[in-house]
Amino acid sequence: MKVLDESGKGVAAGSKLDLASLGLPVAGRRGTLVVFWKRQ
Amino acid sequence: MYVGPFETTESCDEWKREYDLAFPVVPDADGALFRRLTSGWVPWSILVAPDGEVVFSENEFDEAGFGAAISQLLAKQTGVAPTATESTQRTPAARRASKAATVVILGGGVGGIVAAHNLRASLGEEHRIFVIDRSPDHLFQSSLLWLMVGDRREHQIRRPLERLTRRGIEFVHDEVVEIDLERRLVRTRARTLDFDYLIVALGARTVPESIEGFGEMAHDLYSLEGSRGIKNALDAFTGGKVGVLVTSMPFKCPAAPYEAAFLVESFLRAKGVRDRSEIHVYTPEHQPMPVAPAALGASIVEMLSARGIQYHPLFTFQKMRPETREIVAADGHAEKVDLLIAVPPHQAPEVVRSSGLLGVSGWIPVDPGTLRTEHEGVFAIGDVSTVRLPSGKSLPKAGVFAHNQAVVVARQIADEIRGRRDGARFDGGGYCWIELGDGRAGFAGGNFYHDPEPRLRVARPGRAWHWGKVAFEKWWLRRWF
Ligand SMILES: Cc1cc2nc3c(=O)[nH]c(=O)nc-3n(C[C@H](O)[C@H](O)[C@H](O)COP(=O)(O)OP(=O)(O)OC[C@H]3O[C@@H](n4cnc5c(N)ncnc54)[C@H](O)[C@@H]3O)c2cc1C
Repeated sequence: MKVLDESGKGVAAGSKLDLASLGLPVAGRRGTLVVFWKRQ
Repeated sequence: MYVGPFETTESCDEWKREYDLAFPVVPDADGALFRRLTSGWVPWSILVAPDGEVVFSENEFDEAGFGAAISQLLAKQTGVAPTATESTQRTPAARRASKAATVVILGGGVGGIVAAHNLRASLGEEHRIFVIDRSPDHLFQSSLLWLMVGDRREHQIRRPLERLTRRGIEFVHDEVVEIDLERRLVRTRARTLDFDYLIVALGARTVPESIEGFGEMAHDLYSLEGSRGIKNALDAFTGGKVGVLVTSMPFKCPAAPYEAAFLVESFLRAKGVRDRSEIHVYTPEHQPMPVAPAALGASIVEMLSARGIQYHPLFTFQKMRPETREIVAADGHAEKVDLLIAVPPHQAPEVVRSSGLLGVSGWIPVDPGTLRTEHEGVFAIGDVSTVRLPSGKSLPKAGVFAHNQAVVVARQIADEIRGRRDGARFDGGGYCWIELGDGRAGFAGGNFYHDPEPRLRVARPGRAWHWGKVAFEKWWLRRWF
Protein backbone atom coordinates (compact mmCIF):
# COMPACT_ATOMS: atom_id res chain seq x y z
CA MET A 1 0.00 0.00 0.00
CA LYS A 2 1.36 3.41 -0.93
CA VAL A 3 1.27 5.79 2.03
CA LEU A 4 3.33 8.70 0.72
CA ASP A 5 4.01 9.89 -2.79
CA GLU A 6 6.94 12.19 -2.23
CA SER A 7 9.30 9.60 -0.73
CA GLY A 8 12.61 8.50 -2.21
CA LYS A 9 13.75 5.06 -3.29
CA GLY A 10 14.31 3.49 0.08
CA VAL A 11 17.58 2.84 1.85
CA ALA A 12 19.75 0.57 -0.31
CA ALA A 13 21.14 -2.80 0.75
CA GLY A 14 24.85 -2.42 1.39
CA SER A 15 24.57 1.05 2.96
CA LYS A 16 25.06 1.76 6.66
CA LEU A 17 22.43 2.75 9.21
CA ASP A 18 22.95 3.77 12.79
CA LEU A 19 19.63 2.76 14.34
CA ALA A 20 20.34 4.31 17.73
CA SER A 21 21.02 7.74 16.23
CA LEU A 22 17.69 7.48 14.39
CA GLY A 23 16.00 6.98 17.74
CA LEU A 24 15.18 3.33 17.09
CA PRO A 25 15.77 0.54 19.61
CA VAL A 26 18.57 -1.89 18.69
CA ALA A 27 17.00 -5.30 19.19
CA GLY A 28 19.72 -7.87 19.51
CA ARG A 29 23.27 -8.93 18.95
CA ARG A 30 22.46 -10.76 15.72
CA GLY A 31 20.83 -7.87 13.92
CA THR A 32 17.61 -5.88 13.85
CA LEU A 33 14.57 -6.12 11.62
CA VAL A 34 12.74 -2.84 11.09
CA VAL A 35 9.33 -3.08 9.43
CA PHE A 36 7.46 0.07 8.43
CA TRP A 37 3.82 -0.91 8.57
CA LYS A 38 0.32 0.56 8.86
CA ARG A 39 -2.19 -0.81 11.26
CA GLN A 40 -4.89 -2.61 9.24
CA MET B 1 10.25 -3.97 15.43
CA TYR B 2 7.36 -2.25 13.71
CA VAL B 3 7.67 1.45 12.93
CA GLY B 4 4.33 3.16 12.36
CA PRO B 5 4.48 6.21 10.10
CA PHE B 6 2.23 9.01 11.36
CA GLU B 7 1.39 7.08 14.56
CA THR B 8 1.70 8.31 18.12
CA THR B 9 3.13 6.57 21.18
CA GLU B 10 -0.42 5.93 22.38
CA SER B 11 -1.69 4.50 19.09
CA CYS B 12 1.40 2.27 18.86
CA ASP B 13 0.77 0.94 22.38
CA GLU B 14 -2.81 0.21 21.46
CA TRP B 15 -1.70 -1.51 18.23
CA LYS B 16 0.76 -3.65 20.20
CA ARG B 17 -1.96 -4.67 22.69
CA GLU B 18 -4.63 -5.33 20.08
CA TYR B 19 -2.45 -7.71 18.05
CA ASP B 20 -0.54 -9.03 21.07
CA LEU B 21 2.81 -8.15 19.49
CA ALA B 22 5.88 -9.37 21.37
CA PHE B 23 8.26 -6.84 19.81
CA PRO B 24 8.60 -3.03 19.97
CA VAL B 25 6.14 -0.89 18.00
CA VAL B 26 7.66 2.55 17.53
CA PRO B 27 5.92 5.70 16.29
CA ASP B 28 7.33 7.82 13.49
CA ALA B 29 5.00 10.71 14.21
CA ASP B 30 6.02 13.09 11.41
CA GLY B 31 6.94 10.35 8.93
CA ALA B 32 10.56 11.58 8.75
CA LEU B 33 12.08 8.10 9.06
CA PHE B 34 9.52 6.70 6.66
CA ARG B 35 10.44 9.34 4.06
CA ARG B 36 14.13 8.79 4.52
CA LEU B 37 14.27 4.99 4.56
CA THR B 38 11.45 3.78 2.31
CA SER B 39 9.90 4.59 -1.06
CA GLY B 40 6.59 5.48 0.54
CA TRP B 41 5.15 1.93 0.53
CA VAL B 42 4.25 -0.36 3.41
CA PRO B 43 5.24 -2.94 4.38
CA TRP B 44 8.89 -1.96 4.03
CA SER B 45 11.33 -4.34 5.71
CA ILE B 46 14.91 -3.42 6.54
CA LEU B 47 17.32 -5.92 8.05
CA VAL B 48 20.31 -4.29 9.74
CA ALA B 49 23.43 -6.25 10.75
CA PRO B 50 25.04 -5.50 14.15
CA ASP B 51 27.73 -3.42 12.38
CA GLY B 52 25.00 -1.22 10.86
CA GLU B 53 25.12 -2.69 7.36
CA VAL B 54 21.73 -2.91 5.66
CA VAL B 55 21.47 -6.46 4.28
CA PHE B 56 17.86 -6.34 3.07
CA SER B 57 15.58 -3.45 2.17
CA GLU B 58 12.44 -4.27 0.23
CA ASN B 59 8.77 -3.44 -0.05
CA GLU B 60 6.53 -6.48 -0.89
CA PHE B 61 7.94 -9.27 1.21
CA ASP B 62 10.27 -11.48 -0.77
CA GLU B 63 10.70 -14.71 1.16
CA ALA B 64 13.57 -16.04 -0.89
CA GLY B 65 15.40 -12.76 -0.57
CA PHE B 66 14.79 -12.48 3.11
CA GLY B 67 16.05 -16.03 3.67
CA ALA B 68 19.19 -15.21 1.72
CA ALA B 69 19.67 -12.00 3.73
CA ILE B 70 19.40 -13.89 7.01
CA SER B 71 22.01 -16.40 5.79
CA GLN B 72 24.28 -13.52 4.84
CA LEU B 73 23.81 -12.00 8.26
CA LEU B 74 24.65 -15.27 9.98
CA ALA B 75 27.64 -15.82 7.68
CA LYS B 76 28.94 -12.38 8.67
CA GLN B 77 28.78 -13.42 12.30
CA THR B 78 30.46 -16.79 11.86
CA GLY B 79 33.08 -15.17 9.66
CA VAL B 80 32.34 -17.46 6.70
CA ALA B 81 32.51 -15.01 3.84
CA PRO B 82 31.13 -16.01 0.44
CA THR B 83 34.12 -16.91 -1.74
CA ALA B 84 34.97 -14.52 -4.50
CA THR B 85 35.26 -15.95 -7.98
CA GLU B 86 37.88 -14.86 -10.40
CA SER B 87 38.11 -16.08 -13.94
CA THR B 88 41.33 -17.93 -14.67
CA GLN B 89 40.27 -18.78 -18.20
CA ARG B 90 40.51 -16.74 -21.33
CA THR B 91 38.09 -13.85 -21.31
CA PRO B 92 35.41 -13.56 -24.03
CA ALA B 93 37.52 -10.92 -25.77
CA ALA B 94 40.45 -13.32 -25.99
CA ARG B 95 38.23 -16.13 -27.27
CA ARG B 96 36.96 -13.87 -29.99
CA ALA B 97 40.37 -13.92 -31.57
CA SER B 98 39.88 -17.62 -32.28
CA LYS B 99 36.96 -16.53 -34.51
CA ALA B 100 34.64 -19.17 -33.11
CA ALA B 101 32.65 -18.47 -30.00
CA THR B 102 30.51 -20.84 -27.98
CA VAL B 103 27.34 -19.50 -26.43
CA VAL B 104 25.72 -21.79 -23.89
CA ILE B 105 22.11 -21.11 -22.93
CA LEU B 106 20.77 -22.81 -19.82
CA GLY B 107 17.04 -23.43 -20.14
CA GLY B 108 14.80 -23.88 -23.18
CA GLY B 109 11.91 -21.87 -21.76
CA VAL B 110 10.79 -18.44 -22.95
CA GLY B 111 14.09 -16.61 -22.49
CA GLY B 112 16.27 -19.49 -23.68
CA ILE B 113 14.59 -20.14 -27.01
CA VAL B 114 14.26 -16.48 -27.93
CA ALA B 115 17.94 -15.85 -27.16
CA ALA B 116 18.99 -18.94 -29.15
CA HIS B 117 16.97 -18.01 -32.24
CA ASN B 118 18.11 -14.39 -32.19
CA LEU B 119 21.76 -15.38 -31.83
CA ARG B 120 21.48 -17.94 -34.61
CA ALA B 121 19.97 -15.34 -36.90
CA SER B 122 22.87 -12.96 -36.40
CA LEU B 123 25.94 -15.23 -36.07
CA GLY B 124 27.71 -17.33 -38.68
CA GLU B 125 27.94 -21.13 -38.51
CA GLU B 126 31.42 -21.08 -37.01
CA HIS B 127 29.85 -19.91 -33.76
CA ARG B 128 28.11 -22.61 -31.76
CA ILE B 129 24.91 -22.09 -29.83
CA PHE B 130 23.79 -24.65 -27.28
CA VAL B 131 20.49 -24.85 -25.42
CA ILE B 132 20.42 -27.22 -22.44
CA ASP B 133 17.13 -28.28 -20.86
CA ARG B 134 16.18 -31.24 -18.73
CA SER B 135 12.75 -31.34 -20.27
CA PRO B 136 12.34 -32.71 -23.83
CA ASP B 137 9.58 -30.17 -24.46
CA HIS B 138 9.01 -26.46 -24.34
CA LEU B 139 5.75 -25.77 -22.50
CA PHE B 140 3.76 -22.60 -23.20
CA GLN B 141 2.95 -22.03 -19.55
CA SER B 142 0.28 -19.35 -19.84
CA SER B 143 -1.96 -21.84 -21.67
CA LEU B 144 -2.07 -23.98 -18.51
CA LEU B 145 -4.92 -21.70 -17.51
CA TRP B 146 -6.90 -22.77 -20.58
CA LEU B 147 -5.95 -26.41 -20.05
CA MET B 148 -7.37 -26.21 -16.55
CA VAL B 149 -10.85 -25.34 -17.86
CA GLY B 150 -10.72 -27.76 -20.80
CA ASP B 151 -10.02 -25.19 -23.53
CA ARG B 152 -6.70 -26.80 -24.51
CA ARG B 153 -5.21 -30.28 -24.66
CA GLU B 154 -1.66 -30.98 -23.61
CA HIS B 155 -0.26 -31.60 -27.09
CA GLN B 156 -1.53 -28.18 -28.18
CA ILE B 157 0.65 -26.26 -25.73
CA ARG B 158 4.03 -27.97 -25.93
CA ARG B 159 6.63 -28.51 -28.60
CA PRO B 160 9.72 -30.76 -28.76
CA LEU B 161 12.91 -28.79 -28.10
CA GLU B 162 14.71 -31.18 -30.46
CA ARG B 163 13.21 -29.06 -33.26
CA LEU B 164 15.72 -26.33 -32.44
CA THR B 165 18.36 -28.43 -34.21
CA ARG B 166 16.57 -27.80 -37.53
CA ARG B 167 17.53 -24.17 -37.11
CA GLY B 168 21.19 -24.81 -36.39
CA ILE B 169 20.88 -24.65 -32.60
CA GLU B 170 22.41 -27.56 -30.67
CA PHE B 171 19.97 -28.96 -28.13
CA VAL B 172 21.26 -30.91 -25.14
CA HIS B 173 18.48 -32.80 -23.37
CA ASP B 174 20.03 -33.11 -19.93
CA GLU B 175 20.00 -31.60 -16.47
CA VAL B 176 22.49 -28.87 -15.66
CA VAL B 177 24.20 -29.90 -12.42
CA GLU B 178 27.04 -27.40 -12.10
CA ILE B 179 27.93 -23.92 -13.29
CA ASP B 180 31.65 -23.37 -12.79
CA LEU B 181 32.25 -19.66 -13.26
CA GLU B 182 35.93 -19.87 -12.46
CA ARG B 183 36.69 -22.40 -15.19
CA ARG B 184 33.92 -21.07 -17.40
CA LEU B 185 32.21 -24.38 -17.93
CA VAL B 186 28.86 -26.02 -17.35
CA ARG B 187 28.31 -29.64 -16.36
CA THR B 188 25.26 -31.69 -17.14
CA ARG B 189 24.77 -35.28 -15.96
CA ALA B 190 26.48 -36.57 -19.09
CA ARG B 191 28.61 -33.74 -20.53
CA THR B 192 30.85 -30.80 -19.82
CA LEU B 193 30.60 -27.74 -22.03
CA ASP B 194 32.84 -24.73 -21.83
CA PHE B 195 31.53 -21.35 -22.83
CA ASP B 196 32.61 -17.93 -24.00
CA TYR B 197 29.20 -16.55 -23.18
CA LEU B 198 26.66 -17.98 -20.79
CA ILE B 199 22.98 -17.07 -20.62
CA VAL B 200 21.25 -18.38 -17.51
CA ALA B 201 17.53 -18.73 -18.30
CA LEU B 202 16.59 -21.51 -15.91
CA GLY B 203 13.40 -19.89 -14.69
CA ALA B 204 11.96 -20.23 -11.20
CA ARG B 205 11.60 -23.62 -9.57
CA THR B 206 8.27 -24.24 -7.87
CA VAL B 207 8.43 -26.23 -4.67
CA PRO B 208 4.97 -27.45 -3.62
CA GLU B 209 6.73 -30.23 -1.70
CA SER B 210 8.02 -27.60 0.75
CA ILE B 211 4.45 -27.36 2.12
CA GLU B 212 3.27 -30.28 4.18
CA GLY B 213 0.00 -31.66 2.92
CA PHE B 214 0.12 -29.80 -0.43
CA GLY B 215 -0.12 -33.02 -2.45
CA GLU B 216 -3.11 -34.24 -0.44
CA MET B 217 -5.04 -31.03 -0.38
CA ALA B 218 -4.12 -28.72 -3.25
CA HIS B 219 -3.84 -28.67 -7.03
CA ASP B 220 -0.73 -26.91 -8.32
CA LEU B 221 -1.86 -24.17 -10.70
CA TYR B 222 1.68 -23.85 -12.10
CA SER B 223 2.31 -27.39 -13.35
CA LEU B 224 0.96 -29.53 -16.14
CA GLU B 225 0.00 -32.24 -13.69
CA GLY B 226 -1.70 -29.74 -11.40
CA SER B 227 -3.70 -28.15 -14.23
CA ARG B 228 -4.82 -31.62 -15.30
CA GLY B 229 -5.92 -32.26 -11.70
CA ILE B 230 -7.89 -29.00 -11.61
CA LYS B 231 -9.66 -29.95 -14.82
CA ASN B 232 -10.72 -33.32 -13.38
CA ALA B 233 -11.76 -31.74 -10.09
CA LEU B 234 -13.82 -29.06 -11.87
CA ASP B 235 -15.52 -31.71 -14.00
CA ALA B 236 -16.52 -33.59 -10.86
CA PHE B 237 -17.43 -30.46 -8.88
CA THR B 238 -21.08 -30.17 -7.92
CA GLY B 239 -20.84 -27.12 -5.64
CA GLY B 240 -18.93 -25.93 -2.59
CA LYS B 241 -16.09 -23.56 -1.83
CA VAL B 242 -13.23 -23.06 -4.29
CA GLY B 243 -10.10 -21.33 -3.01
CA VAL B 244 -7.31 -19.88 -5.15
CA LEU B 245 -4.33 -19.49 -2.82
CA VAL B 246 -1.01 -17.69 -3.28
CA THR B 247 1.29 -19.40 -0.79
CA SER B 248 4.18 -16.91 -0.91
CA MET B 249 5.90 -14.12 -2.79
CA PRO B 250 7.39 -13.67 -5.30
CA PHE B 251 5.54 -15.76 -7.89
CA LYS B 252 5.65 -15.64 -11.66
CA CYS B 253 2.90 -14.03 -13.69
CA PRO B 254 1.26 -11.81 -11.07
CA ALA B 255 -2.06 -11.97 -12.95
CA ALA B 256 -2.31 -15.79 -13.08
CA PRO B 257 -4.12 -16.48 -9.78
CA TYR B 258 -6.71 -13.82 -10.63
CA GLU B 259 -7.12 -15.19 -14.14
CA ALA B 260 -7.60 -18.65 -12.61
CA ALA B 261 -10.38 -17.30 -10.36
CA PHE B 262 -12.13 -15.59 -13.30
CA LEU B 263 -11.90 -18.69 -15.50
CA VAL B 264 -13.16 -21.00 -12.76
CA GLU B 265 -16.07 -18.64 -12.11
CA SER B 266 -17.04 -18.65 -15.77
CA PHE B 267 -16.60 -22.45 -15.98
CA LEU B 268 -18.84 -23.09 -12.97
CA ARG B 269 -21.48 -20.74 -14.35
CA ALA B 270 -21.50 -22.54 -17.70
CA LYS B 271 -21.74 -25.83 -15.84
CA GLY B 272 -24.77 -24.60 -13.94
CA VAL B 273 -23.31 -24.96 -10.42
CA ARG B 274 -22.23 -21.37 -9.81
CA ASP B 275 -25.16 -20.65 -7.46
CA ARG B 276 -24.06 -23.57 -5.30
CA SER B 277 -20.42 -22.41 -5.22
CA GLU B 278 -18.26 -19.79 -3.59
CA ILE B 279 -14.95 -18.62 -5.05
CA HIS B 280 -12.28 -17.02 -2.86
CA VAL B 281 -8.81 -15.65 -3.61
CA TYR B 282 -6.31 -15.68 -0.70
CA THR B 283 -3.02 -13.82 -1.16
CA PRO B 284 -0.27 -12.16 0.89
CA GLU B 285 -0.33 -9.19 -1.54
CA HIS B 286 -2.06 -6.01 -0.43
CA GLN B 287 -3.65 -5.67 -3.87
CA PRO B 288 -3.59 -7.61 -7.15
CA MET B 289 -0.41 -7.04 -9.17
CA PRO B 290 1.19 -4.86 -6.48
CA VAL B 291 4.05 -3.63 -8.68
CA ALA B 292 1.60 -1.95 -11.05
CA PRO B 293 -0.06 1.37 -10.20
CA ALA B 294 -2.80 1.02 -7.57
CA ALA B 295 -5.55 1.82 -10.09
CA LEU B 296 -4.91 -1.43 -11.98
CA GLY B 297 -5.13 -3.48 -8.77
CA ALA B 298 -8.31 -1.64 -7.81
CA SER B 299 -9.92 -2.41 -11.17
CA ILE B 300 -9.16 -6.13 -10.73
CA VAL B 301 -10.68 -6.06 -7.23
CA GLU B 302 -13.76 -4.45 -8.74
CA MET B 303 -14.05 -7.11 -11.44
CA LEU B 304 -13.63 -9.88 -8.84
CA SER B 305 -16.38 -8.38 -6.77
CA ALA B 306 -18.67 -7.90 -9.80
CA ARG B 307 -18.42 -11.67 -10.39
CA GLY B 308 -19.04 -12.50 -6.74
CA ILE B 309 -15.45 -13.68 -6.16
CA GLN B 310 -14.34 -12.90 -2.62
CA TYR B 311 -10.92 -11.36 -2.22
CA HIS B 312 -8.71 -11.84 0.87
CA PRO B 313 -5.57 -9.68 0.57
CA LEU B 314 -2.79 -9.81 3.21
CA PHE B 315 -3.59 -13.48 3.87
CA THR B 316 -0.14 -14.67 4.90
CA PHE B 317 -0.43 -18.37 4.33
CA GLN B 318 1.27 -20.56 6.90
CA LYS B 319 0.09 -24.18 6.60
CA MET B 320 -2.43 -26.65 5.26
CA ARG B 321 -4.51 -29.02 7.34
CA PRO B 322 -5.59 -31.71 4.89
CA GLU B 323 -7.53 -33.63 7.56
CA THR B 324 -9.99 -30.73 7.95
CA ARG B 325 -9.34 -29.25 4.46
CA GLU B 326 -8.24 -25.97 5.98
CA ILE B 327 -5.67 -23.38 4.98
CA VAL B 328 -4.23 -21.45 7.90
CA ALA B 329 -2.77 -17.93 7.94
CA ALA B 330 0.10 -16.73 10.12
CA ASP B 331 -2.37 -15.00 12.47
CA GLY B 332 -4.09 -18.36 13.09
CA HIS B 333 -7.12 -17.60 10.93
CA ALA B 334 -8.26 -20.81 9.18
CA GLU B 335 -10.49 -21.23 6.12
CA LYS B 336 -12.09 -24.48 5.02
CA VAL B 337 -11.93 -25.02 1.27
CA ASP B 338 -13.46 -27.86 -0.78
CA LEU B 339 -11.38 -27.38 -3.92
CA LEU B 340 -8.01 -25.75 -3.46
CA ILE B 341 -6.03 -24.32 -6.38
CA ALA B 342 -2.63 -23.09 -5.21
CA VAL B 343 0.39 -21.18 -6.47
CA PRO B 344 3.33 -23.00 -4.85
CA PRO B 345 6.40 -21.25 -3.38
CA HIS B 346 9.09 -20.30 -5.91
CA GLN B 347 12.86 -20.40 -5.57
CA ALA B 348 15.93 -20.26 -7.80
CA PRO B 349 16.83 -23.69 -9.27
CA GLU B 350 19.19 -25.79 -7.15
CA VAL B 351 22.10 -25.53 -9.61
CA VAL B 352 21.94 -21.73 -9.46
CA ARG B 353 21.87 -21.76 -5.68
CA SER B 354 25.21 -23.54 -5.62
CA SER B 355 26.81 -21.47 -8.42
CA GLY B 356 27.73 -18.32 -6.51
CA LEU B 357 25.49 -16.26 -8.81
CA LEU B 358 22.72 -15.59 -6.30
CA GLY B 359 22.36 -12.26 -4.57
CA VAL B 360 20.71 -11.49 -1.24
CA SER B 361 17.35 -11.42 -3.02
CA GLY B 362 17.58 -15.18 -3.58
CA TRP B 363 17.72 -14.58 -7.35
CA ILE B 364 20.49 -13.50 -9.72
CA PRO B 365 21.03 -9.74 -9.59
CA VAL B 366 21.64 -8.23 -13.03
CA ASP B 367 22.19 -4.85 -14.57
CA PRO B 368 18.68 -3.58 -15.44
CA GLY B 369 19.67 -2.54 -18.96
CA THR B 370 22.25 -5.13 -20.04
CA LEU B 371 21.19 -8.14 -17.94
CA ARG B 372 24.86 -8.79 -17.22
CA THR B 373 25.85 -10.43 -13.96
CA GLU B 374 29.06 -9.42 -12.24
CA HIS B 375 30.89 -12.20 -14.11
CA GLU B 376 32.25 -11.35 -17.52
CA GLY B 377 30.24 -12.77 -20.41
CA VAL B 378 27.63 -14.23 -18.04
CA PHE B 379 24.04 -12.99 -18.37
CA ALA B 380 20.86 -13.94 -16.53
CA ILE B 381 17.38 -13.36 -17.94
CA GLY B 382 13.78 -14.09 -17.05
CA ASP B 383 12.43 -15.52 -13.83
CA VAL B 384 15.80 -16.56 -12.41
CA SER B 385 17.05 -12.97 -12.46
CA THR B 386 16.03 -9.99 -10.38
CA VAL B 387 15.94 -6.30 -11.21
CA ARG B 388 15.15 -3.71 -8.60
CA LEU B 389 12.70 -1.04 -9.76
CA PRO B 390 12.73 2.63 -8.72
CA SER B 391 9.85 1.87 -6.30
CA GLY B 392 12.13 -0.57 -4.44
CA LYS B 393 10.07 -3.53 -5.67
CA SER B 394 11.37 -6.16 -8.03
CA LEU B 395 10.48 -6.45 -11.71
CA PRO B 396 7.69 -9.06 -11.85
CA LYS B 397 8.54 -12.51 -13.13
CA ALA B 398 6.80 -12.91 -16.47
CA GLY B 399 7.40 -14.38 -19.89
CA VAL B 400 7.13 -11.01 -21.58
CA PHE B 401 10.21 -9.77 -19.72
CA ALA B 402 12.15 -13.00 -20.34
CA HIS B 403 11.33 -12.55 -24.05
CA ASN B 404 12.33 -8.87 -24.30
CA GLN B 405 15.47 -9.40 -22.21
CA ALA B 406 16.53 -12.34 -24.41
CA VAL B 407 16.38 -10.16 -27.52
CA VAL B 408 18.60 -7.53 -25.89
CA VAL B 409 21.14 -10.06 -24.58
CA ALA B 410 21.39 -11.82 -27.94
CA ARG B 411 22.12 -8.50 -29.61
CA GLN B 412 24.83 -7.58 -27.14
CA ILE B 413 26.56 -10.93 -27.52
CA ALA B 414 26.31 -10.93 -31.31
CA ASP B 415 27.62 -7.34 -31.50
CA GLU B 416 30.50 -8.16 -29.20
CA ILE B 417 31.49 -11.24 -31.20
CA ARG B 418 31.27 -9.33 -34.48
CA GLY B 419 33.30 -6.46 -33.02
CA ARG B 420 30.45 -3.98 -33.36
CA ARG B 421 29.52 -1.34 -30.85
CA ASP B 422 26.71 -2.70 -28.77
CA GLY B 423 23.91 -0.41 -27.77
CA ALA B 424 21.08 -2.80 -26.96
CA ARG B 425 19.47 -2.13 -23.61
CA PHE B 426 16.33 -3.50 -21.98
CA ASP B 427 14.03 -0.55 -21.26
CA GLY B 428 11.56 -2.21 -18.87
CA GLY B 429 8.83 -2.59 -21.49
CA GLY B 430 6.18 -5.22 -20.86
CA TYR B 431 2.51 -6.02 -21.21
CA CYS B 432 0.02 -8.54 -19.98
CA TRP B 433 -3.32 -9.99 -20.93
CA ILE B 434 -5.72 -10.81 -18.13
CA GLU B 435 -8.21 -13.55 -18.92
CA LEU B 436 -11.62 -12.74 -17.48
CA GLY B 437 -13.63 -15.78 -18.63
CA ASP B 438 -16.53 -15.85 -21.12
CA GLY B 439 -14.06 -15.26 -23.96
CA ARG B 440 -13.08 -11.84 -22.66
CA ALA B 441 -9.78 -10.42 -21.45
CA GLY B 442 -8.19 -7.21 -20.24
CA PHE B 443 -4.84 -5.80 -21.32
CA ALA B 444 -2.25 -3.54 -19.70
CA GLY B 445 1.18 -2.57 -20.92
CA GLY B 446 3.86 0.07 -20.60
CA ASN B 447 7.18 0.82 -19.00
CA PHE B 448 8.04 -0.89 -15.72
CA TYR B 449 11.30 1.10 -15.32
CA HIS B 450 9.42 4.38 -15.16
CA ASP B 451 10.33 6.38 -12.03
CA PRO B 452 8.78 6.51 -9.41
CA GLU B 453 6.42 3.71 -10.45
CA PRO B 454 5.63 1.80 -13.64
CA ARG B 455 3.63 3.76 -16.21
CA LEU B 456 1.03 1.47 -17.74
CA ARG B 457 -1.82 1.92 -20.15
CA VAL B 458 -4.85 -0.14 -19.21
CA ALA B 459 -7.25 -1.04 -22.01
CA ARG B 460 -10.98 -1.66 -21.62
CA PRO B 461 -11.62 -5.41 -21.31
CA GLY B 462 -13.26 -7.09 -24.26
CA ARG B 463 -13.34 -10.04 -26.63
CA ALA B 464 -10.62 -8.61 -28.87
CA TRP B 465 -8.03 -8.92 -26.10
CA HIS B 466 -8.89 -12.56 -25.53
CA TRP B 467 -8.40 -13.27 -29.23
CA GLY B 468 -5.17 -11.28 -29.09
CA LYS B 469 -3.90 -13.66 -26.44
CA VAL B 470 -4.97 -16.69 -28.48
CA ALA B 471 -3.24 -15.27 -31.57
CA PHE B 472 -0.06 -14.70 -29.56
CA GLU B 473 -0.07 -18.33 -28.37
CA LYS B 474 -0.43 -19.59 -31.95
CA TRP B 475 2.30 -17.25 -33.20
CA TRP B 476 4.65 -18.30 -30.39
CA LEU B 477 4.36 -22.01 -30.99
CA ARG B 478 4.78 -21.59 -34.73
CA ARG B 479 7.52 -18.96 -34.67
CA TRP B 480 10.08 -20.87 -32.61
CA PHE B 481 9.30 -24.50 -33.49
C1 LIG C 1 -0.13 -20.57 -15.26
C2 LIG C 1 0.86 -19.56 -15.79
C3 LIG C 1 0.42 -18.51 -16.58
C4 LIG C 1 1.33 -17.56 -17.06
N1 LIG C 1 0.88 -16.54 -17.85
C5 LIG C 1 1.75 -15.62 -18.33
C6 LIG C 1 1.31 -14.56 -19.15
O1 LIG C 1 0.13 -14.46 -19.50
N2 LIG C 1 2.22 -13.64 -19.56
C7 LIG C 1 3.54 -13.73 -19.21
O2 LIG C 1 4.33 -12.87 -19.61
N3 LIG C 1 3.99 -14.73 -18.42
C8 LIG C 1 3.13 -15.68 -17.98
N4 LIG C 1 3.58 -16.70 -17.20
C9 LIG C 1 4.98 -16.69 -16.72
C10 LIG C 1 5.95 -17.20 -17.77
O3 LIG C 1 5.58 -18.49 -18.21
C11 LIG C 1 7.34 -17.24 -17.16
O4 LIG C 1 7.63 -16.00 -16.57
C12 LIG C 1 8.37 -17.53 -18.24
O5 LIG C 1 8.20 -18.83 -18.71
C13 LIG C 1 9.80 -17.31 -17.73
O6 LIG C 1 10.70 -17.62 -18.72
P1 LIG C 1 12.16 -18.16 -18.35
O7 LIG C 1 12.86 -18.37 -19.63
O8 LIG C 1 12.76 -17.28 -17.32
O9 LIG C 1 11.89 -19.56 -17.60
P2 LIG C 1 11.06 -20.81 -18.08
O10 LIG C 1 10.22 -20.50 -19.26
O11 LIG C 1 10.38 -21.34 -16.87
O12 LIG C 1 12.17 -21.84 -18.56
C14 LIG C 1 13.12 -22.41 -17.70
C15 LIG C 1 13.60 -23.71 -18.33
O13 LIG C 1 14.73 -24.16 -17.59
C16 LIG C 1 14.66 -25.58 -17.48
N5 LIG C 1 15.47 -25.97 -16.31
C17 LIG C 1 15.34 -25.57 -15.03
N6 LIG C 1 16.31 -26.11 -14.27
C18 LIG C 1 17.07 -26.86 -15.09
C19 LIG C 1 18.26 -27.64 -14.91
N7 LIG C 1 18.86 -27.76 -13.73
N8 LIG C 1 18.79 -28.28 -15.98
C20 LIG C 1 18.20 -28.17 -17.21
N9 LIG C 1 17.10 -27.44 -17.44
C21 LIG C 1 16.54 -26.80 -16.40
C22 LIG C 1 13.18 -25.87 -17.34
O14 LIG C 1 12.89 -27.21 -17.74
C23 LIG C 1 12.56 -24.81 -18.27
O15 LIG C 1 12.34 -25.34 -19.57
C24 LIG C 1 2.70 -17.69 -16.73
C25 LIG C 1 3.14 -18.76 -15.96
C26 LIG C 1 2.24 -19.71 -15.51
C27 LIG C 1 2.73 -20.87 -14.69
